Amino acid sequence: MKDFRELETEIKKASDKFTNIESINEFRIKFLGKKGIISLEMKELASLSGDERKQHAEKLNKIKDSVLEIIASKTEELNSEELEKKLNSETLDITLSTSKSYGTIHPISQVIEEVITIFGDLDFFVAEGPEVETDYNNFTALNTSEHHPARQMHDTFYVETETDGMPNVLRTHTSPVQIRSMLEQKPPIRLIAPGKTFRCDNDQTHSPMFHQVEGLVIDQESNMSHLKGCLEIFLKTFFETDKLNMRFRPSHFPFTEPSAEVDIGYTKKGNQLIIGEGEDWLEILGCGMVHPNVLENVNINSNEYQGYAFGMGIERLAMLKYGISDLRTFFDSDLRWNKHYGFSPLNIPSIIGDLS
Amino acid sequence: MKFSYSWLTEHLKTNVHFEEIEKKLTSIGLEVEDIQDIGKAYQDFIVGQVLEEKKHPNADKLKLCKVDIGKEKVDVVCGAPNVEKGMKVVYAPVGSIIPVNQMKIKAAKIRGVESYGMMCSEYELGISNEHDGIIRLEEKETIGTSFSEIYGLNDIVIEIGITPNRQDCLGVKGIARDLASAGMGELLERKISREKGSFKSPIKIEIQDNKICSAFAGRYFRNVKNTESPEWLKNKLKSIGLRPISALVDITNFVMYDENRPLHVYDADKIDGKIIVRSANDGESFLALDEKDYQLKNGMCVIADEKKVLGLGGIMGGESTGCSTKTKNVLLESALFDEINTAKTGRNLSILSDARYRFERGIDPNSTLKGIDLATQLILEICGGECSEVELAGNIKENKNEVSTSSSYISRRLGFEVSDKELISILSSLGIETNQTGDVIKCSIPSWRQDIHGEADISEEVIRIKGYENIPTSNIRLKSKINKNILNYAQKKLMKARHFIASIEYDELVTFSFTDSKNCEVFGDINKLKIVNPISEDLDILRPNLLPNLLQAIKKNKNRNFDSFSIFEIGSQYRSTSPEDQLNVACGIKSGIKTEKSWKNMQTEFDIYDVKQDLTSLIDYLIPGNKKISVSNDCPSWYHPGRSGSIKINNSVIAGYFGELHPRVANQFKIKNKTNIFELYLDELPNTEKKTTNKPVLNLSDFQIVTRDFAFVIDKKVKSEEVVTSAFKADKELIRNVEIFDLFEDDSLGKDKKSIAIKVTLQSNEKTLAENDISEISSKIIESVEKSTSGTVRS
Repeated sequence: MKDFRELETEIKKASDKFTNIESINEFRIKFLGKKGIISLEMKELASLSGDERKQHAEKLNKIKDSVLEIIASKTEELNSEELEKKLNSETLDITLSTSKSYGTIHPISQVIEEVITIFGDLDFFVAEGPEVETDYNNFTALNTSEHHPARQMHDTFYVETETDGMPNVLRTHTSPVQIRSMLEQKPPIRLIAPGKTFRCDNDQTHSPMFHQVEGLVIDQESNMSHLKGCLEIFLKTFFETDKLNMRFRPSHFPFTEPSAEVDIGYTKKGNQLIIGEGEDWLEILGCGMVHPNVLENVNINSNEYQGYAFGMGIERLAMLKYGISDLRTFFDSDLRWNKHYGFSPLNIPSIIGDLS
Repeated sequence: MKFSYSWLTEHLKTNVHFEEIEKKLTSIGLEVEDIQDIGKAYQDFIVGQVLEEKKHPNADKLKLCKVDIGKEKVDVVCGAPNVEKGMKVVYAPVGSIIPVNQMKIKAAKIRGVESYGMMCSEYELGISNEHDGIIRLEEKETIGTSFSEIYGLNDIVIEIGITPNRQDCLGVKGIARDLASAGMGELLERKISREKGSFKSPIKIEIQDNKICSAFAGRYFRNVKNTESPEWLKNKLKSIGLRPISALVDITNFVMYDENRPLHVYDADKIDGKIIVRSANDGESFLALDEKDYQLKNGMCVIADEKKVLGLGGIMGGESTGCSTKTKNVLLESALFDEINTAKTGRNLSILSDARYRFERGIDPNSTLKGIDLATQLILEICGGECSEVELAGNIKENKNEVSTSSSYISRRLGFEVSDKELISILSSLGIETNQTGDVIKCSIPSWRQDIHGEADISEEVIRIKGYENIPTSNIRLKSKINKNILNYAQKKLMKARHFIASIEYDELVTFSFTDSKNCEVFGDINKLKIVNPISEDLDILRPNLLPNLLQAIKKNKNRNFDSFSIFEIGSQYRSTSPEDQLNVACGIKSGIKTEKSWKNMQTEFDIYDVKQDLTSLIDYLIPGNKKISVSNDCPSWYHPGRSGSIKINNSVIAGYFGELHPRVANQFKIKNKTNIFELYLDELPNTEKKTTNKPVLNLSDFQIVTRDFAFVIDKKVKSEEVVTSAFKADKELIRNVEIFDLFEDDSLGKDKKSIAIKVTLQSNEKTLAENDISEISSKIIESVEKSTSGTVRS
């Protein structure tokens, strides 16, 4: 009986000489090709019989498997050697770079979106009105008659068009949106109205154009404690702080009664304002219970319905939160400023993600 | 409103610490804006006595003094001519700061002699211009006493902001009354004697129009001496920043700031006949005390005599009857002028005065005669003379406001329980009389509170006195939603557009809604956009377009060394100054360097295809799904006519433009670089609000994709888009995409010809396309393109 030992030795000898893929191929042909040694041996099996054939076949198949395995492992070995060589020659200077840049979102837009996000979560919707307003909507309907002293504090811009015999104005606050909305919608109402406002005033701390956000809640029960609750959630969320000293103090707006101004506590550490802590007070917004006369002016029964309103300056919120020191820089279009204080366009304020 | 603490305590008996009063003022709505501790500047200065006085050895004009300052005796070199032994002086110790020049006193050798401290003149202490010598204090002053105590300078000046409703606090007494209501002490009633008068006033008063002046009380004084006011009065006025003028004027000012009662004094010898209160005649003019001539109009309230206008009622007196030191006989006026008429007149004539400020906010009618009494007492005391009986024309109306309320209404508004008892007690502390019947509490509002008209006002009084800090905090989260959307479709579009544009490298700017009319003719009808009272000449109209301000921004930043601009604004522009003529627009500009020269890239500049791509991808983002975008040449005149396009969506109105800024406009704005702009009229975009959350059905084919390239020679004038659309038309089912991949112009093609190469992608839903299918469709494509472009295929 043949024991194929010679064949095995030959295979071993041949397999030690591999230098490249071609030599593996030669090896394959030598043993497994049509006229290869193993193939020929296989053919001879037919001439054998019985046990001998069975034993030879078993042995030959084992040898064939070992050859296949040698081919596979050597191929792998050589391939990875080759790849290694190639990789060693393929180098780039990773310190070189190109850049992808984004534009920026203006801080005013950012803060408005933050405010909308917070109030949206409290089920307020966003209402709007035009920037040129009628005298009636801007003043009279808001319980500020033609000769009310409060009008003088507004430094109103006038335009040449008129409505009902009165010159139209550039709205001095976002409050006329209250009037427009209440004429359109019956209570319950929960809205905020961010937008541009205008006053004929231009100095270090005043800009002829600025932004406000108005809030209005009208239903059957909303009272001053809800107003306080509402502003507390808003301010804490907006300034991203759990600590918030908040102070309500009496004030006067013709369209609310009682009226209040709200201060928040702050301290100064170096050049930085820390909001929420400390003994010093910063005025942040005006608010109050909607005056019954305002409700009657928009045909809402003031015995049945009541509610509150508030208004605050967007620039002021932005300055306090983001440490911007000069109001007038917002509208200066200095690209150095915009690129520094602007926000990433991918950074959309969100309740689940980050507000800022 | 300014007042001093000592003045306040003339009306308020209190043992509460000042700091608590300060806090209370703010908490009851009289916001403290400024506190000045006058005494602080003088705290170091004390009374000393000169013990010895001899000549300085080295200087003729200087003297060596030994001064007793109580705890020790110090050497002081002094140059004052009036210094003498035994004199009581004001001594400034080493370390103190001289108010007039902020100089710090140091121990020093003066001409070789040691000197510790200084003796002061009134000038040096900043209390007068007297600098001829040092202050000689009275003998009785005790050595070591603080100087500020002697001069009454130990005072605090408080400035509070008065909201327009609180007319009652425009006098010190009113402030004291409000503090007393809030538990800060007890209101003191000033003792005012009631002079009857010894004769009838020779000047009669006639009110012709009682709508503009309901009452006018006059009192005649004879043989007065209009001297300088006494120190106490001058100091009082000075402490609140008023300049003393003469006794008569100072007295009226004092009564105004003390009792909130404006008065006026006329030189009676200059009045011709009787006083007539009437409406002005058109064309009448009047020289006021501010030395300005005012042209009056019918309706304005004037105080006149039989010949001339003497004053503008409730606003300002006139030059003709002004009082001087020679004035002997005077008429004192205390009147009630109509609020609205006063406001109107003041505004029309642009006169701001303390009287107007008070009358237009409303004056306590009861102060009319009280004011006369207080002024009479002071005039007789300071100026002497005799007074007449009071002559009263018109009626002093005393109809008090009545308001009914209930504790349940107040509680419902404030958000916590207020009992009947507490409510009544707070109201009575404010001088509001109450009368309860069942649940209804009837309130009778005192005459000094002109601002309380309804229940809501009562609720404010309650919480003001109780303290805003006592308002509880309630949760406002709702059990069920009341609003379907936070932002509506249009608002979402704006927000999406903002983030998208910024994501493709544009920086967002926010510029004024105003702009300069001078550069804007091209953008709109500037005559329809005028602001009546612009803040400045170059911000005189509402912007007809976002571009002018953005172009100015480019110019400004160019000067800051920027050479690449990608900026945008989303905001409103205006067709006119009517409220409905406001449009929402997104406007972007790309100008200058697009890619810097680098190791990898050549330098490139922005061109109109950049802004076109930005605009179309923005539209794609805002209006997802199938739509037809068509481009044509009709652009407004601020675009380069040959390098701009307008965009229509689904063949409806024009939604936007892109292109190069017209060179003429660029020139106006002094911009040299090519400026590529896009505008998107957001209000014009078709509403494609999602009606279903489902996406459209997706049909995928697994059959092989084939591409074929074609090139056509066509006239330069023919738009490349024509090649693409006509190729598409050849087979709507099999052609999946057509793209231009090459474009070139060369004389070899023929005059005014260009070559456009397209790549067509083919795929069937039913089978793998065979060679004959492909050649069939290729012929169709060539036929279709050649037909619609009059071009020829290149082989």
